[in-house]
Amino acid sequence: MSRKKSKSVAATLTTATCALLGTTSTTPVNAQEEDEWELDTALLYYNEDGNRVQDISFKMLANRNFIDDRVLSLSLGVDSLTGATPIGAIPFAGPQTFTSPSGNQVRTAPPGEIPLDPSFLDTRVALTANWQQPLGRLSSFNAGLSASSEYDYLHLGANFKLSRDFNKRNTTVSLGLAFAADELDPVGGAPTPLTPMLDVDDLSNRMGNQNKDVMDVVLGVSQIINQNLIMQFNYSFSSSDGYLNDPYKIVSLVDPVTGDPVPRIPTPGVDGPSHEYRFESRPGERTKHSLFGQAKYYMNGKVLDASYRYMTDDWDIDSHTVDVRFRWPIGDRSYLEPHFRYYTQTHANFYRTSLDSSLPLPPHASADYRLGEFDAITLGLKYGWKTESGNEWSARLEAYSADGSVPANLLIGSNQGGLEMYPDLDAIIAQFSYSFGW
Amino acid sequence: MKKLNTIASALLVAGLAGLSGCSSMGVEPWERDIMAKDEMQLTSDPLEAAIDDHIYFSKEASSGGRGFGGGGCGCN
Repeated sequence: MSRKKSKSVAATLTTATCALLGTTSTTPVNAQEEDEWELDTALLYYNEDGNRVQDISFKMLANRNFIDDRVLSLSLGVDSLTGATPIGAIPFAGPQTFTSPSGNQVRTAPPGEIPLDPSFLDTRVALTANWQQPLGRLSSFNAGLSASSEYDYLHLGANFKLSRDFNKRNTTVSLGLAFAADELDPVGGAPTPLTPMLDVDDLSNRMGNQNKDVMDVVLGVSQIINQNLIMQFNYSFSSSDGYLNDPYKIVSLVDPVTGDPVPRIPTPGVDGPSHEYRFESRPGERTKHSLFGQAKYYMNGKVLDASYRYMTDDWDIDSHTVDVRFRWPIGDRSYLEPHFRYYTQTHANFYRTSLDSSLPLPPHASADYRLGEFDAITLGLKYGWKTESGNEWSARLEAYSADGSVPANLLIGSNQGGLEMYPDLDAIIAQFSYSFGW
Repeated sequence: MKKLNTIASALLVAGLAGLSGCSSMGVEPWERDIMAKDEMQLTSDPLEAAIDDHIYFSKEASSGGRGFGGGGCGCN
């Protein structure tokens, strides 16, 4: 996309220069330059410490530029996910046995460890198609479709964007809309929220497929401040409704005095959970608002890219994200780019690491660590270089580290204080990219 | 609701400031050489931006901001 823009501006400048000099513009050459595919490809390796999630993926983005600034964009992504992920149950001094998501076998977590589901295994294929079309001299229209498929999840989406330039094209105002209709088809069927984890082969609390709809609106303004500085401000609104639970996450039911999981005896002759667990329950709706600001500043060949995002939602999650990249050229054809990102969020109002068995169940409860309170830091370095023909290679290595804590008022009984209740996360991201024209 | 009012007020102030201020900012068409560079595009590496959005969407409770933050994945 960006290479196209520079070419398009170069073509415009060439035409303007020719017009000033009274010569004829070299139209056939321009047309040839515009009519080509530009491909960005990337291989990604993502790995979480402690044998948790690993993702190896291939991504490709292809842009075909036509004359008159019309652009067709196609993208493909294939992810191969394996590993283990926390299921929401609290750690305990003894072993804990769980029924697997499929409901046909049991697994036992070792004492003292945050229980993980080791059956995390999925392949995801994602496709998008986008068409950009100018509307008159100062406006453009963009329409796209997206689809992705996983073993237990199907996404279909459509998006539209209208942009208009003002002030000698120094100001651009845009309005975007996106709709997604997703279908969940969890292994064994989606569990009814707050029902107990049952014995092997008992699927009486499963509801089959479930749906989730998401609508997004993004209102944006970008402004060229001077020759070296451009800024962007976006307001985003997002509304989701439907089955918003993670169908594989549970919450431990605990003794009010000790805080230990309440023991459970499976039906004689049948395997089943060793303790009382409830499937999580999130509200059926969520509304998010985000404010995003970005500045890009050019300093004698170096580029500072800084952004900030504030998000708030009706689950009482507030988050702040700061992202800074600094592109440092080395010679004419290569650069180094350090990257720093800081993220912090508050916990959802229904986040519970465990539930008091002496009290009635609350309407909503989730122990998903992603709805908890945590800070995360990403540190990375990217190196890129351009070949003589203008193709570009780049490699980046980043470390992501998330540290969370469970507020004291969410701990129950005497034994939970001494346990590591929050599953901290350390991951590395390695990416190798190649961009070329075709 | 109070939060929403704060956001609405902030947007209104930013919008008014923007409308009055924008017309005096910017460059002439022949001063756009730096802005036309690949590395000065607001999203200079769209593929990397999409990869990052997807990673953070799967691990955090926030998404979007730069663009759409919708669904598309069973990872959250």
